[in-house]
Amino acid sequence: MGAAQRSRRWLVPVSAVALVAGVGTLGPVVADASPKLPDISAQELLAKVQTAKVDGLSGTVHSSADLGLPALPGVTGGSDSASGTVTEMLSGEHTARVAFAAPDKARVSVLDNMAERVWTTDGKSAWAYDSGKREAVKLQLPEHKSSGKPEKKAPQSYNPQDVAKQFLDAIDPTTKVDVSGTEKVAGRDAYKLRLTPKTDKTTVGSVTLAVDSKTWIPLQVSVLPRTGTDPAVEIGFTDVSFAVPSASTFAFTPPKGVEVTQPKAPTTRPDVPKGLPSKPEAKPENGKKPGTANEPTVLGEGWSSVVMVRGVKLTGNGGPVDQFLAGAQTVEGSWGKGKIVTSKMVNALITDDGRVFAGLVTPQTLQDAAAKAPR
Amino acid sequence: MSPSSALADSPVVARPSAGRHTLALFKSELQLVFGRARTWVLLAVLAAVPVMIGVAIKLSGAEGGAEGFLGQVAGNGLFLIVASLGLSLPFFLPTAVTVISGESLAGESSLGTLRNLLTAPAGRSRLLAAKMVALAIFCLAATFTIWVAGLIVGFVLFPVGDVLLLSGSTISLGEGLLRALAIAVVIALSLMGLAGIGLFVSSLTSTPLAAMAATFGTFIVLGILSAIPQIDVIHPWLLMYGWTSFADLLRDPPYWDAIGRNLLLQAGYLAVFYCAAWARITSRDIV
Repeated sequence: MGAAQRSRRWLVPVSAVALVAGVGTLGPVVADASPKLPDISAQELLAKVQTAKVDGLSGTVHSSADLGLPALPGVTGGSDSASGTVTEMLSGEHTARVAFAAPDKARVSVLDNMAERVWTTDGKSAWAYDSGKREAVKLQLPEHKSSGKPEKKAPQSYNPQDVAKQFLDAIDPTTKVDVSGTEKVAGRDAYKLRLTPKTDKTTVGSVTLAVDSKTWIPLQVSVLPRTGTDPAVEIGFTDVSFAVPSASTFAFTPPKGVEVTQPKAPTTRPDVPKGLPSKPEAKPENGKKPGTANEPTVLGEGWSSVVMVRGVKLTGNGGPVDQFLAGAQTVEGSWGKGKIVTSKMVNALITDDGRVFAGLVTPQTLQDAAAKAPR
Repeated sequence: MSPSSALADSPVVARPSAGRHTLALFKSELQLVFGRARTWVLLAVLAAVPVMIGVAIKLSGAEGGAEGFLGQVAGNGLFLIVASLGLSLPFFLPTAVTVISGESLAGESSLGTLRNLLTAPAGRSRLLAAKMVALAIFCLAATFTIWVAGLIVGFVLFPVGDVLLLSGSTISLGEGLLRALAIAVVIALSLMGLAGIGLFVSSLTSTPLAAMAATFGTFIVLGILSAIPQIDVIHPWLLMYGWTSFADLLRDPPYWDAIGRNLLLQAGYLAVFYCAAWARITSRDIV
């Protein structure tokens, strides 16, 4: 056996590396190949989405968010508070199992690392369970005032085509809507409906909805920033079934040894999350939120809207926020002086007089908004 | 083949003939691994993990103080198995695998026995396969040791009963034990990537200690890399990325995706390093 022949054996591990890396990186890409579907116009697609109706579904939802939010030193987004849950959901990757059955049964379980948080409602009562703390919270839901859906549905003259057209007309000045192609989502053929802002004041490049070509249910939403090609937010099904889940899916029996608390029922029905892990759990915890800050005000409209909060005392106590802001860029204008915090998508302006402006807009738009905003 | 099998049966000359007789080779390889005192010491250390955890929880008498599986041990002894397996995964189990895999080829070559084994060129691939199988069986033996020790200690020290899953539903004790067994298997398979690395490193050197140190060093480096958030792009490619997915077996129903991804990743590592070890061992000069 010659040396050349022997050294050729090393080609085997090298090709093994190539194979493993190739399958690992290209596998998902190949699986996402665009399926061939008949052409459809944006208006038709929107009309179809309007009429979409499923009696039930279950599946796995994966969300990944990379807003480029800077990590606040010393502030861990714990899931103890409602705002903590929101921040947590807006960063990193999450997987959740979801199930829904018309009209009012829903279950969301977020699969955490070696733990699980479950929210489930069978229409009469709602449960929240946290396996890490082994605590369950029960809510008695108020008697059916008819749930949101039938209200929205309905007058006899309801025509999805008209609604779609009205919607398109309404957003036409600000947004370009088109069907940008097809893709496979959760193994199903889907059309991609793309919304592109016409203004350059926003950091949003486009928002794409993947709409299932059979049930017309949106399967995936992805938000692309103006710069870059990776979605800042992507949330969608990784697998989905449109069979109605059995009633036992939504039932919850508090296990032995689990502490059950029963706070006073909220006056409004918690939203039934439809497929997406929106956060009904936030409701009972709202009371904990410090009520010092003023109600947020929305300035401007459409893509360039900016949220303003007044009377926020963030700085001046030498806390982690101060340290963090020390590194931020200082800006000045007719509106005063403040610090600007930028990230891939969300920008915020914190003025010295305690106002915070934030939005999916460019830093300049924030300053313009600050100049026009009431004190 | 009667002379060779006769030879294989005779303990004195079993090693040289083993290359020709696959079953005998595997058997002698297992005897080599499990005939060593250090293997039993390692298994004894692993068996001590549930004992220590169990006694500590029993003595402190903390009722549901800790979060996660550890906090459930006092209420249900079965969770001692899961907690012990989970706590051994980041350190104890990798150490054991490192020791055994670092030893596997380098040990032979330090003793001079590898020379005999390598003189039969057709037997080299089979020798490597036998080493790998022995390593895999050791991984299984390691997690099963914890499973059994956890079972005994958990049942002696704590009450046992129906098992509360992460999803908030309850299953019977028997099913719980089965799921704990499945966790032991998944964790053993999670160690295969590291075993592959160890086997390859072991084929490079004739000093077992160097092989162990290098393998463990690689393991530590991978661990540090997976703790740096700035490089999260490469995290899904790191050996221990999916190690905690074993807990998905305790969901209702079990969530297989992450476990499957983890096992694929381990298979990838194993394939690459096993091929590398193969290339090394088959192209190696006999000195």
